[in-house]
Amino acid sequence: MDAARVGVITFPGSLDDKDAARAVRLAGAEPVALWHGDHDLRGVDAVVLPGGFSYGDYLRAGAIARFAPLMAEVVDAAKGGLPVLGICNGFQVLCESHLLPGALLPNAGLHFVCRDQRLSVENAETAWTSEYREGQELVIPIKNVDGRYVADRETLTELADSGRIVARYLDLNPNGSLDDIAGICNEAGNVVGLMPHPEHAAESLTGPSTDGLGFFTSIVKRLVNA
Amino acid sequence: MSEQRPNASGRTDRARDAAPGPGPADDFVENGSGGAGRDSDEPSLEWLGELKSDADDPELSPVDPAVTQAFEAMLEEGERIERPASASAPVPAPAPAPFVEPFGGPGDPSMGGQPPMEVTPEFARALAEEGTSVPAPPSPPAPPASPAGDPAYTAPDLNGSGAPEPSVPDAPGVSGTGPQPAVGTGPQPVVGTGTGPQPVVSTGPQPSLDPGSDPLAQGPLGTGPQPALGTGPQYVQPITGSDGPNTGPQPAVNGPGTGPLPAVEGPGTGPQPAVGPNTGPQPAVNGPGTGPQPAVNGPGTGPQPAVNGPGTGPQSAIDGPGTGPQPAITGTGPQPVVDGPGFGPGPGTGPQPAVVPVEPGTDTVAIAAASPERPQPYAELGMKEEEYRRVREILGRRPTSSELAIYSVMWSEHCSYKSSRVHLRQFGDKAPKTDALLVGMGENAGVVDIGQGWAVTFKVESHNHPSYVEPYQGAATGVGGIVRDIMSMGARPIAVMDSLRFGPADALDTQRVLPGVVAGVGGYGNSLGLPNIGGETVFDACYAQNPLVNALCVGVLKHDEIQRAIAPGPGNKVILFGATTGPDGIGGASVLASATFDEESHQKRPSVQVGDPFMEKLLIECCLELFAEDLVVGIQDLGAAGVSCATTELAAAGTGGMHVDLDTVPLRDATLRPEEILMSESQERMMAVVTPDKVDRFMEICGRWEIPATVIGTVTDTGRLVMTWRGETIVDIPPGTAADEGPVYERPYAPPHDLGALQSDTPGRLTRPTSGDELRRTVLWLAGSPNLASKTWVTSQYDRYVLGNTVLAMPDNAGVVRVDDESGLGIALSLDGNGRYTRLDPYAGAQLALSEAYRNVAATGARPLAVTNCLNFGSPEDPGVMWQFARAVEGLADACRYLGVPVTGGNVSFYNQTGTTPINPTPVIGVLGVHDDVRRRVNMSLTSDGATIALLGETREEFGGSEWAHVVYGHLGGLPPLVDLKAESALAGVMIQAARDGLVTAVHDLSDGGLSQTLVESCLRGGLGARITLPGDPFVSLFSESVARAMVAVSPGAEARLAALCEAAGVPVTQIGVAGGDALSVTGRGAEGEQQELFSIPLAELREAHERMLPSYAN
Repeated sequence: MDAARVGVITFPGSLDDKDAARAVRLAGAEPVALWHGDHDLRGVDAVVLPGGFSYGDYLRAGAIARFAPLMAEVVDAAKGGLPVLGICNGFQVLCESHLLPGALLPNAGLHFVCRDQRLSVENAETAWTSEYREGQELVIPIKNVDGRYVADRETLTELADSGRIVARYLDLNPNGSLDDIAGICNEAGNVVGLMPHPEHAAESLTGPSTDGLGFFTSIVKRLVNA
Repeated sequence: MSEQRPNASGRTDRARDAAPGPGPADDFVENGSGGAGRDSDEPSLEWLGELKSDADDPELSPVDPAVTQAFEAMLEEGERIERPASASAPVPAPAPAPFVEPFGGPGDPSMGGQPPMEVTPEFARALAEEGTSVPAPPSPPAPPASPAGDPAYTAPDLNGSGAPEPSVPDAPGVSGTGPQPAVGTGPQPVVGTGTGPQPVVSTGPQPSLDPGSDPLAQGPLGTGPQPALGTGPQYVQPITGSDGPNTGPQPAVNGPGTGPLPAVEGPGTGPQPAVGPNTGPQPAVNGPGTGPQPAVNGPGTGPQPAVNGPGTGPQSAIDGPGTGPQPAITGTGPQPVVDGPGFGPGPGTGPQPAVVPVEPGTDTVAIAAASPERPQPYAELGMKEEEYRRVREILGRRPTSSELAIYSVMWSEHCSYKSSRVHLRQFGDKAPKTDALLVGMGENAGVVDIGQGWAVTFKVESHNHPSYVEPYQGAATGVGGIVRDIMSMGARPIAVMDSLRFGPADALDTQRVLPGVVAGVGGYGNSLGLPNIGGETVFDACYAQNPLVNALCVGVLKHDEIQRAIAPGPGNKVILFGATTGPDGIGGASVLASATFDEESHQKRPSVQVGDPFMEKLLIECCLELFAEDLVVGIQDLGAAGVSCATTELAAAGTGGMHVDLDTVPLRDATLRPEEILMSESQERMMAVVTPDKVDRFMEICGRWEIPATVIGTVTDTGRLVMTWRGETIVDIPPGTAADEGPVYERPYAPPHDLGALQSDTPGRLTRPTSGDELRRTVLWLAGSPNLASKTWVTSQYDRYVLGNTVLAMPDNAGVVRVDDESGLGIALSLDGNGRYTRLDPYAGAQLALSEAYRNVAATGARPLAVTNCLNFGSPEDPGVMWQFARAVEGLADACRYLGVPVTGGNVSFYNQTGTTPINPTPVIGVLGVHDDVRRRVNMSLTSDGATIALLGETREEFGGSEWAHVVYGHLGGLPPLVDLKAESALAGVMIQAARDGLVTAVHDLSDGGLSQTLVESCLRGGLGARITLPGDPFVSLFSESVARAMVAVSPGAEARLAALCEAAGVPVTQIGVAGGDALSVTGRGAEGEQQELFSIPLAELREAHERMLPSYAN
């Protein structure tokens, strides 16, 4: 079978799009550049919404990107089961698009925070985390200014009860996220939003670890086996 | 010993360091007031005198019981302590206050509430020089001297009387009320409140295009000092004054078709009389609304009332559609690209209604020719009388107000380097022969060949004064400006760095400036997606009211992708693209505009530009696509002096002529006058020269990135830069005269009169720690002092990962970035400076900064290749400062030649001073190195248990300007460490070879704080302790700052090979210990000369001391 094709969307203001594409490549898949203004997912097998400041994060992080033409396609396809990973700004866009519940607010400290963050994998059965084992600890960079995950208590309880919290912060909660939430998924497990940047922990030369590569190898394995 | 060639002068008596003695025994020429007798207005010297007289006082000891107690209390309680209030001993001035010197003096009233932010005339001038205008001081200019005299020499106050701080550091809100609301709101400078979701969504993504309703653009500045803007000069409408009532209507007279104009060359020549009220063309030019026109210039009255009179064409046209000031912008909707081959009048171009008659008050070339005697506000614009006279000579008439705007800004210190140029020539004259330089100085940035077909361009620039006025936006736009410089060379920016200097860490104003600057550097760079890979954060009282914000950007490109700032080829189109033009940073030009038009609104211009990093990110991507398709023949960024600078420089470097229709410049404020458009420093704008056949494709790409782009002119071969406005010619100059032929000054210089006294006040008399316990405390004290403490609080606000190529970043020796994924080709960069060294000996100080950056780059295993610099000095009109500058430049040029690294470009920032007190001269030097394969880089972390630790280089007793003297005694005197370029070069060779051959697992240079600080940093970074045996006098071994030294952890089994390598290179190598354990344990010679364990510090304690400083003050 041909290599899996994983699309990476570039919005105006996307910053980590090439990095995500590199991680896709390192995981053995073919990265496909997708343009926000198109209506075409180009037949990809999965989609990554990368980090950055789409539209400058003006108005509210992710609020404008959510209306990009391509997002209509992404929302439809995600509901049909297409694996989607939103990293940082991508996570914000997924929340704004209502593919994931809750919202991401400015960090509790009000500063941009860049640090090597310890995480625990809470759900190793999503489309993007199957290469990990539950409880596995990772070190992955986090870097954002709007990373504080919030949702009402009911939603938080539901997320916890249904195993939809994908990862939590360990040691130190860098942004005040409720319940130390670093990432969540939708009910079907195909849409994952993650505040830390696994694409920056994909090479030992440039990252604090290679712990992040698992997110990309997970999807590749799933697509190849499909 | 080294031959030490470039260090021939400036230090004749090394022994003075060790043997203090009075008298300025020095080879510098002292001017008249030097020597013993001092004026009373020099508190510094009084203080030094005190110090001297107390030199033998046993109480003057760093381990004074009161201090010790306080220090230990701090370490134990883990709290930020106040200055020991119980310092009962009558400790004279220099007694050590833990960590920081107080700002100001006790009881300074200005320290009570709002952080003081004075705008002195000197500062205003400096700000203007740095590309930003500043309000003139309120009419009785009350620039109170800095609190308690010269803060640079204010001794630590142990008596507790000056301890107003307690409540402040933990209350960031306190400082937030002042001039920087933007800090709190984070990095969204342009979130207009008017941008409701709907319009934004439907028109596509251009929220940033709504700056007119942007409250923040005004916000930060509308408070405190702002309203004073431009009040000073109040330039009176000159028309009536000079020409009397009869000449009133003449502006409109000389329409485009009237012949006599070009002929009007000499001032006062014939044609003017013809310009009477009877000349016919008027009606045609002014169109239907002309009736009231004459009233505008009516006898003796100011023009304002008439402007609003009934029927005046321009007025209604401008304010007509929509209330907001920028109807054009919201109207562009889906096609922001405004292609204007037909120029202004086209209906789609936005601000300009179809027919726009010349407003009253527009100063045209015709009027200028006809009114040679009209007084012009050149002095208010910072021009000297002889400069103004020269402009008149060049033009053969008086300049129009627009021309005056151009010349005043192009001939400013900032743009013309008029004071520094004669010295900067040395960088070219003394440049070492190298093949690496593809583009040298003079372009936007130099370009260096790094092999494999790749080239790198890099440059550092200051944004000091704006960052004091409005820290967030000042720093943010500093980053934005340098990034555009790199873009305009055709390169993709790949990383930034920042070198920051502030007043004392615990000073109130530092708590206003520091968080804002850091958030601004981060907010802009992070949003651009450029990793911040290193820099400096330094505190010193001399920067208290003059912080230094120097930003560096580095970009990469292929050899054949280099772009130039030229405008060749008559007929080619000049395209302005990027953000629209608004009233940012105009200040000075308001003098011109407000004299004739709508005084009030034009006086309230924001003086600091506001950045929009989102637009800049789009510009980067857009430019790279334009370059990739080879669509531009010349390109220039718009920075200081905006359109003035870009058009004159492009034209001067091209075919020589250009015609620009200023009406076509897309505005975000339709009331802007031409002078303001010319001087506006609105950010995120670029200017390109494009052949006509490629204009369409150019516009298409800009459209894809939703970037407004407009043809505003055409390249000509006339040799003249001509600009029109409302159909009238308002500029007609030979562009080279503005761009390249500015004034050049050979300013007088002489050593500062206090230099001799400073140099003879050596640190040799300062009591040193001797016992193990004293040494232990000194290690901790230094590790937690503001300049040596961990800067994680700063660097964690910067994205160091984005782009995925960062191999090393702060706090490592240097930033290292991969350029080529396949081959591993990469670069290393370090940015270093030391104002104290340079104050003591500017020639040596500049060389020491270069030495350190060179050493840092080599410590990663990179081969140093090229140099950039940012020279931060006081006023060039002060001969002492000019001498410091001349010596520093000479020192840097000599050292660059010796080390074989050419200067590729840089920046000079003058007028960094408070009142008449200049900052310590602070050349900040950036060195670029190349890694053939970044996978062989070495970092500074001690991680290999059992590894041998060795010290490379020779340690001498050198404490002049050291961190130890600074932190413990607040002392600055003597001479800085000996420059030893030969040793530096040899050490670099060893480090590069050792990295390549895998002989070392860690390398860390020795610099500020000496071996002690190097060990602290390497242990903490790697999380591994070390057992060290000091080879000589323990104090000297630990804290001396001798150059050309590095600590290495040797790879297992490689000891002999490393020793052989060092021997061959002539680099002394001493085994000093072994890595391991969880403490830094140090053995050495005890009081009786026997070897003993002097102290041991658990890493946890070390970390606590090292990491607590900044968060305790800055958060």
